[in-house]
Amino acid sequence: MIRVQSYAPEGFIALDNSALIYPPTEARYNANTYRVSMDLKQEIQPQILELALHKTLERCSYARVSLHKGFFWYYLSPNYKSPVLHEEGSYPSARISFKNNNGYLFKVLYSNHRIALECFHALTDGSGALVYLKMIVSEYCRLSDIADVTFEGSLDFAASPTIQEFSDPFQHFYDKNIPGSPTTGVAYHRKGTGSYDDRVKVISAIVDANVLRSRCRKRGYTITVYLSSILVMAFQEFQKQEVPQQKKRKPINLSVPMNLRNIFHFDTMRNFTLFAVPGIEPALGEYTFEEILKKIQLDMGLSQDPKRIRSQIKRNVGGERHILMRFAPTAIKNPLFKLLSNSLGDDLYSAVISNLGYVKVPEKLESSISRMDFYLCPGQMNKVALAVIGFKDKVVINFSSFYNTDTSLERFFCRFLVEDGIPVEVSSNRTQEYKE
Amino acid sequence: MAYCVKCGVKLEEGARECPLCKTPVILPLGLERGRSEPLFPQPLPPKGIDGITKASKDIIELILALLVVSEITIALTMWFSGNIEHSFVPLFSTAMGALVIALAMVAKHTYVAQATTHIVLVSLYLLGIDATSNQLCWSLIAVGALALFWVFTVFTTTKTAKAHHGWTALLLMASLLGYVAMINSIVVGRLTWFVPVVLPTACVLFLGEGLFYFRFLTRKKNRLQLADLVIFELIVWLLTLTVLDIFMTHYRQGIWNLNWSLSLLSAAIVLIILLVGVSVSRRLRRYFTSQNRHY
Repeated sequence: MIRVQSYAPEGFIALDNSALIYPPTEARYNANTYRVSMDLKQEIQPQILELALHKTLERCSYARVSLHKGFFWYYLSPNYKSPVLHEEGSYPSARISFKNNNGYLFKVLYSNHRIALECFHALTDGSGALVYLKMIVSEYCRLSDIADVTFEGSLDFAASPTIQEFSDPFQHFYDKNIPGSPTTGVAYHRKGTGSYDDRVKVISAIVDANVLRSRCRKRGYTITVYLSSILVMAFQEFQKQEVPQQKKRKPINLSVPMNLRNIFHFDTMRNFTLFAVPGIEPALGEYTFEEILKKIQLDMGLSQDPKRIRSQIKRNVGGERHILMRFAPTAIKNPLFKLLSNSLGDDLYSAVISNLGYVKVPEKLESSISRMDFYLCPGQMNKVALAVIGFKDKVVINFSSFYNTDTSLERFFCRFLVEDGIPVEVSSNRTQEYKE
Repeated sequence: MAYCVKCGVKLEEGARECPLCKTPVILPLGLERGRSEPLFPQPLPPKGIDGITKASKDIIELILALLVVSEITIALTMWFSGNIEHSFVPLFSTAMGALVIALAMVAKHTYVAQATTHIVLVSLYLLGIDATSNQLCWSLIAVGALALFWVFTVFTTTKTAKAHHGWTALLLMASLLGYVAMINSIVVGRLTWFVPVVLPTACVLFLGEGLFYFRFLTRKKNRLQLADLVIFELIVWLLTLTVLDIFMTHYRQGIWNLNWSLSLLSAAIVLIILLVGVSVSRRLRRYFTSQNRHY
């Protein structure tokens, strides 16, 4: 482990390596936000929620930051303004207006029964945001006398923050003596039909966790591999229709975020995620679902190898530490980051699927929590994103899309599940537009 | 609780259609539609959010950063080569180039805004370049041409112009005459050929156009036939050239004489007679328009 000497001035908190890409690439069709939310059966009291938020921020003072644009880098600095509570609107994971949010990189929203946390990716990743949400909800429940509970994986309010919590994990695992990981080729991107705009249209599919688990176990795969394979299968069908000539078909790769905390046992509250890129090559021939499952399982296994991950970290951090990159002004770096974000990111995969895993609800809260959600923001190139979260006996699969009318991917996915014997319940904000 | 008959998925309570395939939910008679809490408290807004994107802002920053670097480089190069007194043109050109790209990104993405921005910037550039010789000469003529171009091709597409046809037509005529007068005064120093040649010619031109417009308005059907348009334009054009020839010859030689324009005048008169005949005589009209059942 390498300790990095910080020469940063007072009040300058460097972005972690993974977060560097998010501020320059933030745009109308690339909000770089995501949302985690919990629905309670009790009505939400905003005053109590505000108290719970303050309490959480007292414990996690490293979240009290605002984003600034320096001459060389974007950086974080302590934010002494009060956080703002927002009423929930009509769609999740929109662009965060930092100005209207007192500079905070996260947004706490509430509606009748919901507490939601929307986060800009420069602050933390999905797992980190889930920890914040767990803390807010548990504190809210304690203050409103619903139950005095602590979620598994949440932070202890009584303990003081550890250094690991707010240190950049990528700098710790950087090793300049290993080779950087090579990049993959350009993947297939679905054209989609009809118009699109920056309103995030959601289709939420809820399936029974036990049925889904048993179907996956029967085949011998994990839920992530199973759901990813359905997505790949859908893209294979779309590409078959779009590109009739087999040898001209491009690889179909997915971007599947991996929570590196579990692999490296480093409990940080900053970004600690890298992406596995499992996929198939339709130019070689049509894959059956079983073949896709096998290939995705293999790719996921390889991607989770700590040595390969270290090589990926070497590539990313090595780039950040390059002398030209260090001394280039932000104005020059920004367009470069945009190009890099395309060539090392969006170009390489056909879709994003993020599984936040199963959230264990404390026994005392089981009767109070009715729903949990996780939403990603779609992007300019991949206009449909998939986010999965499990709680109690349910798995919620949320499709967020920029397309106004095209729901073919969602339809293929849900139909596949139904045909595979998994009942699906869908709801959407697409149909809300037409109500009175 | 309903199921989609096409997708097989369970729909939320009270759903009117399947969000996946838009198949409507038809309930059996007598069964009331339930109501569940919507996924989000508010319905989707009718459209997305517009405005300048962060990407555009960053590109503008990059352009300005590159501008500073290139200006310093040019200034140093000219200084070291001993040509610092000639450095205005390259420095000004680079700055204007950067400004054109940056302002084009900031300006509203409409034809009027973009065209106006570019015309203003190009005019400033031409004036700036001409100003290096300490006097404005050719640039004023060029800028006048750009202004005329703006009036004819940009202003006419605006809502104001569309709302006030008459005033717009007057403005177009006035700007055209103003431009010609400006050329005369810049080149000679005072109005010489403008008054005896251009004004009478323009009067004939505008009178011809006015007559055409009047005829168009007084028609029973305000539908413009292509043949009408061609013939009238031809008449106006021939008459204008004739008058131009008359006054030009008069201006240059000081005598009244018709040269080549005599044939044009004759042709115009023949066409007028034909057109008047067609308008007046039903038989003649039927003869020429027998194929047109709608006339």
